[in-house]
Amino acid sequence: MRAPGRALDVDAVELLEREQQLAALAAALGDVAEHRTGMVVLVHGEAGIGKTALLRRFCAQAEGSVRVLWATCDPLFTPRPLGPLLDIARSTDGELREQVEGGGQPYEVTHALVDELDRRSPSVVVVEDLHWADEATLDVLRLCARRIYAVPALLIATYRDDSLAASHPLRVILGELPSALCERQELSRLSHTAVATLAQSSTLDAGELYERTGGNPFYVTEVLAAGGGLIPPTVRDAVLARSAALSGAARDVLEAVAIVPQRTEVWLLEALVQRALDGLDECLESGILRGEADGVAFRHELARLAIEESLTPHRAVVLHRRALVALAQPAIGRPDLARLAHHAEAAGDTDAVLGYSPLAAEHAAAVGAHREALNQYGRALRFAAGLAPERRADLLERLADEGFLTDMRAEGLAALDEALAIHRDSGERLRAGDVLRLRARMKSDMGRTAEARVDVREATEILERLPPGIELARTYAEVSCLTLQADDAEQTIAWGQKAIALADRLGDTDALAHALNTIGTVELSRGDMGGKEKLERSLELARSAGELRYVAMAYINLCAALSQLGRYLEMARYADEGIKYCEEHGLEAWTKWLLAAKTELQLALGLWDRAAEAATSILDTPTSTMAAVHGALLVRALVRARRGDPDHRDPLDRAQEMARTVGDLQWLAPVAAAYAECAWLEGRPQEIEAVTQAAFELAQEQSAPSFVGELGLWRSRAGLLDEPPVDAGEPYSYEIAGDWARAASYWRENGCRYEAALALAASRDGKALRQALAELQVLGARPAAAIVAGRLRELGERGLPRGPRPKTRANPAGLTARELEVLQLLTEGLRNAQIAGRLVLSEKTVDHHVSAILRKLNVRSRGEAAATATRLGLRGP
Amino acid sequence: MSRYVVQRTFPEGLQIPVADGGAELCRGVVERNAEDGVTWICSFVSEDRTRTFCVYDAPTPEAIRRTAARNELPVDEITRVSVLDPYFYA
Repeated sequence: MRAPGRALDVDAVELLEREQQLAALAAALGDVAEHRTGMVVLVHGEAGIGKTALLRRFCAQAEGSVRVLWATCDPLFTPRPLGPLLDIARSTDGELREQVEGGGQPYEVTHALVDELDRRSPSVVVVEDLHWADEATLDVLRLCARRIYAVPALLIATYRDDSLAASHPLRVILGELPSALCERQELSRLSHTAVATLAQSSTLDAGELYERTGGNPFYVTEVLAAGGGLIPPTVRDAVLARSAALSGAARDVLEAVAIVPQRTEVWLLEALVQRALDGLDECLESGILRGEADGVAFRHELARLAIEESLTPHRAVVLHRRALVALAQPAIGRPDLARLAHHAEAAGDTDAVLGYSPLAAEHAAAVGAHREALNQYGRALRFAAGLAPERRADLLERLADEGFLTDMRAEGLAALDEALAIHRDSGERLRAGDVLRLRARMKSDMGRTAEARVDVREATEILERLPPGIELARTYAEVSCLTLQADDAEQTIAWGQKAIALADRLGDTDALAHALNTIGTVELSRGDMGGKEKLERSLELARSAGELRYVAMAYINLCAALSQLGRYLEMARYADEGIKYCEEHGLEAWTKWLLAAKTELQLALGLWDRAAEAATSILDTPTSTMAAVHGALLVRALVRARRGDPDHRDPLDRAQEMARTVGDLQWLAPVAAAYAECAWLEGRPQEIEAVTQAAFELAQEQSAPSFVGELGLWRSRAGLLDEPPVDAGEPYSYEIAGDWARAASYWRENGCRYEAALALAASRDGKALRQALAELQVLGARPAAAIVAGRLRELGERGLPRGPRPKTRANPAGLTARELEVLQLLTEGLRNAQIAGRLVLSEKTVDHHVSAILRKLNVRSRGEAAATATRLGLRGP
Repeated sequence: MSRYVVQRTFPEGLQIPVADGGAELCRGVVERNAEDGVTWICSFVSEDRTRTFCVYDAPTPEAIRRTAARNELPVDEITRVSVLDPYFYA
């Protein structure tokens, strides 16, 4: 039997049955070093499964030939923004360190990180415990993973898969990683045989040890290290049994380290316990604690939690208070606000929480970690009972603002409700009016438009009775925006101009950018190109003022208006730029909105596979951005209907339900048009009248040209109209008037092949109909192709093509012609930049092609791709 | 999870070796399907081997198309179906 507390070779336990994983990691690193192509490896498994032990061993073996950068996400309730990047940056110098320490935005940090990784070669970057990562760190890793291919680095991230909620942001990111360059390793528990081998050195029964611990390596280690003839019933008991054997001085150290998540610096430890170094050696020797670069830490978070939970409340508070004092004046560097806020809360120190949390929140927001900012404000509010009402309302409004930016609108709305009540109580009319305006925007984005209009009306009434200020200007802009959603052009412009006049006088960029945005949208969606200029101006104004939300809204509205006009090729640029901007600035809610717009774009351009995929990813992620869900549902329904696939009814009905709740034309018209298209495709054109009636009338009432046009077109295809209705916009009016050729060429010029084919299908000309048929067959638009074929047969046409046979592929990998070209050059050893130059493509596009090639060939590196290409005879188109 | 019948056309005729190669081919298809939560129940093959009617359990029609593309199988038509048991009423 082992003496209690004596060191056990813990690594030996945790590395049992891991040879395969170590070999796979070594192989991946070998590829990275040889081909200078990066890779991501995700190591996951339950707590205590041995993720850290595996990576420590791997890095120890690799050290010397490569550089190892190691970072850990901390288990603070609200993590430090960019905390793990700080770990990495500290072991580098130059740009990366400057960016991280200087509060750079996620995209700036990513650039610096990628440059750093590219400068030396090769590197292993380990990021541990990603399930605890803050939002800014996740953004950096997501952006970095996309470019990993271009740098010689092996990025290894670990996470616990047993504690990830469905809505955890990490899940979204894991789903987005480029699969060609990403490998997953799941660590499983120890086998019965392994546990039996370990039990040989103790008096324990192997079968019982296996059964109790389930083969969890950490649990097994703790039981063995605790010694004795009994198996403690839980991991926690095993840890406590083990620590019970330590001396008093060592236990003091253990308790002090337990209240500090992640690691405890030596200077901090000395501040927490007297004569700390006396007990420290014993803790390290027993293997419960582990030495880190600049401090000590528990070998495992499970052990830290067990000890922390065993502290008496009094002892814990004393330790947290000492930590608070010490961290306020750290021996090295600046005070860390997130850590201070954490200990302030744990110490139950109200003043300290109210002092540190809002500062920590501001810092988090400044680097794009808006979720953490929201949580820090939430923490302050938990301690705000005794605060003056105005200060509490201020915290609530700040929290709401972060909720607005992070797609956590339910939390934001609740905060605004409370802030409003405070202002009403204290007769603060100006603030009450302003909060009503903010609440209107929040509700509107959540699809509660009717309530939003009530709020904004009240805001106007309150603020108009006060001397005119920026609050009123912004409220006018909001009224204008909500009127736009109802498609009332005249009123939208009138309110917008009121806002602009006041904003100009007061020099308020917020109101000015918002109002220009709205007026620009209403003009552009009616075909007035002057509107596009206004939107561009609003974009520039907001961009230079750093008004993130109006930059995002300008992109969204440019996309929305251009899509109404069917100008999809023009829209593509704004969608891509907008998504990039919103991702880089951590604006999750608007990213989703723009992703939905891009999905519509892909549908219009005939990229149905991609459109369906993108719609699925939007619908699979929880979001409070209702417009994104509505758009994605319509795209899903239309892709299915146009292909003749089943199950298009359900998404359509859901979209209709949402549209009816909102009640605005912008939501109702696209749903009505989609129902009409489905009825037409399924050979029931007689239903078109009923499904379009209400929306068509509303569109005419509001003289909305594109909606009058689109719905009018479906009605004319059902034989209900002979000439274009008043107000019908282009290109719909052309086909209704019988000029199908002009309609078809408009659609073709804008990249819409399906719409162009449907326009041709309206002709009675055999040649045009054959052209439509061929196009629809290429697109895989089975029902529409069948309708056109029917018309051709009616005209007496014979020998109709049956559509392209699914080709016997020239190559087994299914590469496109372009991908073959890229592969050819890649095989010749060209780098992406050179390939881009040769093929006159952007480097980013080449990146995408290379990713696709690796995926299709099912290989991990360029070298392997070249080898496979030669083997399969795939070289050259 | 819904059940679907997928009709496919193989102008050159479907050829699955009976020996080892066939087992491997089918296993590959099954594995690639699993990535998207698609389960291949069974297929009916026309006598001339140019058409197949394949029965699947899948979360969405898109998942069926995605796996078809990965397996390089053609798709003519996807129909959602339910089981009618003629002896249920007996």
